[in-house]
Amino acid sequence: MKTASVRPSLLRVLIAGVLAWIMPGAGHFFIGERVRGLVFMITIALTFWGGVAIGGVKNTVNPQERALWFLGQACAGVHPFLAIAWSRRVEIPSGADRARWIAYGQMEDISIVYTAIAGMLNVLVILDVLGRAERMGVDQPGGRASPISERAGP
Amino acid sequence: MIDLLATLFCNPLTCDRRTGMLLVLPLSLAVSVVYKTIKCHSLREIPLAVLVSWITILVGMAVVGVALLGLCHILV
Repeated sequence: MKTASVRPSLLRVLIAGVLAWIMPGAGHFFIGERVRGLVFMITIALTFWGGVAIGGVKNTVNPQERALWFLGQACAGVHPFLAIAWSRRVEIPSGADRARWIAYGQMEDISIVYTAIAGMLNVLVILDVLGRAERMGVDQPGGRASPISERAGP
Repeated sequence: MIDLLATLFCNPLTCDRRTGMLLVLPLSLAVSVVYKTIKCHSLREIPLAVLVSWITILVGMAVVGVALLGLCHILV
């Protein structure tokens, strides 16, 4: 049986990259690296939402007040946008102690660092999936791409 | 369940400065996990590599912290 070895299309590489940005780890799922994808998905989600739990959802992701930090946070894909949507639904009752809803000082800093590092980690994941998708050959007659880690090689 | 989520994510964590330093542990673990999952060719290598990397980061940060504290004591 003949085995075709062709380079993947640019579209396939781009889809893997975009999926990796939207949902960390989804790009690896798309190219067949399911365990790696699951590890990235869980780790980045835990890091991001851990940061939100430290600082409170109301103010941790705040593009108006912290635009540069938001650039880092936005690299974590869907998570910061979910946090923004949630924060808009949370109303601080009038007369309530704002410190019960918004972190100040060290906790505020730590929460922002956590969420921004989750985004930066996802940048590494996106670059990794782009490289893997580009290197991946279609080496089966049916055209199903197999992950690099499953292929025999020197 | 919704109340638990609301408490967990809506109310910020309150802890003192020294306890807050412990939050570097899960953050450095997350960095190690992602970095080593990218670098390791085989998935079986990942747990040990993550552990070594995590300990290296923590020891490295502790050494840098002690060195900066020493420098601070000398200069001030």
